[in-house]
Amino acid sequence: MDQRLEALLQTIQKVLPDVDGIIGLKVNAAGHIAPHLFRKEAPAELDGLAIWPKYPTPDTLRLIQKAHPGAKLGMVVRGCEERGVVEMFKHAQVDLSNISLIGLQCTREEAEFCRCAKPYTAHAKLTVGEPIEGVPDPVTEGFLAKTREERLEYWKEQLVRCIKCYGCRNVCPQCFCNVCALEDEKWVGTGWLPMPLPPMYHLVRSMHMTAKCVACRECEEVCPADIPMAIQYRLIAGDVKEMFGYETGVSMDEKPPQLLVLAEGEFERTGLPH
Amino acid sequence: MTNSFPDLEEAQVILITGSNTTEQHPIIATRLIKLQDKGAKIIVIDPRYTQIAQIADIYLRQKPGTDLAWFNGLMHVILRDNLANQDFIKERTEGFEELKAKVADYTPERVEEITGIPAEKLVEVAHLYAKAERSAIFYCMGITQHTTGVQHVWQCANLAMLTGHIGRPGTGVNPLRGQNNVQGACDMGGLPNVFPAYQPVTKDDAREKFQQAWGVEKLPAEVGMTIMEMMHGLENGKVKAMWVMGENPSLSDPDINHVNKALQAAEFLIVQDVFLSETAQLAHVVLPAASYAEKDGTFSNTERRVQRVRKAIEPLYGSKSDMEIICLVARKMGARGFDFETPQQVMAEINQLTPSYGGITYERLEELGALIWPCPNGEHPGTPFLHKDKFARGLGLFHAIDHQPPAEEPDEEYPFILTTGRIMFHYHTGTMTRRIEKLDREVPTCVIEINPADASRIGLNGKNKVRLQSRRGELIAEAKTTERVDPGVVFMPFHFVEAAANILTNPALDPVAKIPEYKVCAVRVELAE
Repeated sequence: MDQRLEALLQTIQKVLPDVDGIIGLKVNAAGHIAPHLFRKEAPAELDGLAIWPKYPTPDTLRLIQKAHPGAKLGMVVRGCEERGVVEMFKHAQVDLSNISLIGLQCTREEAEFCRCAKPYTAHAKLTVGEPIEGVPDPVTEGFLAKTREERLEYWKEQLVRCIKCYGCRNVCPQCFCNVCALEDEKWVGTGWLPMPLPPMYHLVRSMHMTAKCVACRECEEVCPADIPMAIQYRLIAGDVKEMFGYETGVSMDEKPPQLLVLAEGEFERTGLPH
Repeated sequence: MTNSFPDLEEAQVILITGSNTTEQHPIIATRLIKLQDKGAKIIVIDPRYTQIAQIADIYLRQKPGTDLAWFNGLMHVILRDNLANQDFIKERTEGFEELKAKVADYTPERVEEITGIPAEKLVEVAHLYAKAERSAIFYCMGITQHTTGVQHVWQCANLAMLTGHIGRPGTGVNPLRGQNNVQGACDMGGLPNVFPAYQPVTKDDAREKFQQAWGVEKLPAEVGMTIMEMMHGLENGKVKAMWVMGENPSLSDPDINHVNKALQAAEFLIVQDVFLSETAQLAHVVLPAASYAEKDGTFSNTERRVQRVRKAIEPLYGSKSDMEIICLVARKMGARGFDFETPQQVMAEINQLTPSYGGITYERLEELGALIWPCPNGEHPGTPFLHKDKFARGLGLFHAIDHQPPAEEPDEEYPFILTTGRIMFHYHTGTMTRRIEKLDREVPTCVIEINPADASRIGLNGKNKVRLQSRRGELIAEAKTTERVDPGVVFMPFHFVEAAANILTNPALDPVAKIPEYKVCAVRVELAE
């Protein structure tokens, strides 16, 4: 057995007696990996414990908590999944007070697959595997090496492939709005493929990922048209860091900039034109 | 498909014709796009500038109904420029001299006159396809739904054999099938002329084999009727009763005014469907069928890949699986051999009687996930690509074919070509998809496509409605102006009952396969208001 998998198994076995269940990944009979709630009542299920390919588990936590609000749970998280639950917590989508995070540090190979800048956890008390440094993102770097005109051509070539399947939105752990702008005809036209330029679907989605995207790249993974949309989100994340000093997943308490609550009295009429 | 996706990853050139791949086979389009990212070239030949045409490296637009000519043109150039695979032709084929003589007349210039495809573009495509080490053809209904549909498929085979692009990984002639299990339905003998695995009903030994297995004295030796022949049969009394399963001919067959008269003439019409389709509304008896999520079994996809489907929920509202319904009715009729409890038991019989499925057992599917037929026995790994060392008939036969016009061409009275098809957001007659809110939001009703030049000529602007008339009937629909179609051509999806394209279409059939010419008929287009 893989060393890291062995270590993860031991950690889970240690935590399991104290919780109602632990969210992790399990391989089924057909060899497919899916999220699973491991419980002490069914210890044999841990034989199927798996770690790769990864899966957008933050949403699994949200769904389980919706059905079982008080459950005491453990959850295996990679760096990106930890960032995912942290940001969902700040947007009141999950409650972390009853959750034990078990950090799973990514290997270099996994980090390179994800072009990940932070393949490690920051909050989990229990961790498995040795954390490694972030790796370069040749796709985004390649994009940045292009001229303005080349970039426009690049996006035209990429986005003509979009079949408007909504897969990127559906898989995204940070897409939890009840009403979605991508389904508002005023923003995104209907009934025609390829979607006309300007690419409103992808522009709106990019803006809505501002200070939300945790760079898990699940969107690119599910995209049937292989569109490297995480380039956009990554560049916007850089701007947010520069302008607001905010990075997703870093702190448990720091509110994202678009969630600033202005207390009464903080507004002042300045007489500027409407 | 002669080939399957794992080996098609090796294709260097992909020639797509008559397939709106991203909208109709998005999963396959994904594979093709990934290949393009790795350097493969995509060629699309289609009368509409569809999404896959926009993604393609080279796009050629032919006039609808002129496909035989551009195929001949490509082969003309390949022979003229010595790009044919002479070894393959010599060792694996026959009839080459006739083909060579035939295509000699189809110079790129003459082909341009017939098809509208620029001569130099045709030459470019011929060179690209022929010179690559591994080129694969993908085709779909755009070339089969013609009175010359079978000949179009022969032309695909001609082109592949001429260049030796068949019988190897990354090559072949690959039809994209329209339903998840239409391949399986054909494999199981859901055709008027064959038993399972294409064993002809006209062959004595095939009949004897099935008579013995099924414990019946005499199976009919005559070829049965195709769909359109059955419809005519209802009208002339030759057919008394019809049992329609999972099909909606009231919308999907050509010239539906006529079809609906035929269906109403049936003495007994049974419709088995998940929803109350337009056809079901005409039925004497409706049998509620379970959906894919409510039943166990296997699907055989376009790659000939057999995979399990597993019941996720129990059938709702008293519906039953198709297998259960058929067995119950058969038993009620006193027929023997229908005592199946599970699809696995049916598969065990298939393993015995269907040589290409001989080794495709549930046990192996559980273990391996999928098997691609032919898979004759329990040790066989399946056959990812066909025709490796020889063709089914021995030598591959070239067919020398002249260009022939479609059955109905535009004239003064009906000056437009109508070509029908599908769009991303709905599936076939909308029996399922038009019940889904999110898809209805995308496309709530029928919109035809018309070239801006034609639109301004008939005075269309903004959101006007148009009246379309053919020799069969007329309807009113919304119109969208777009250069996706050429002047003189209108495109219309057939999903919508309120503007049903098949009111207009021509029921002329291909003489061999009896497939109707959905892709070309003549219509008049006028402002409706």
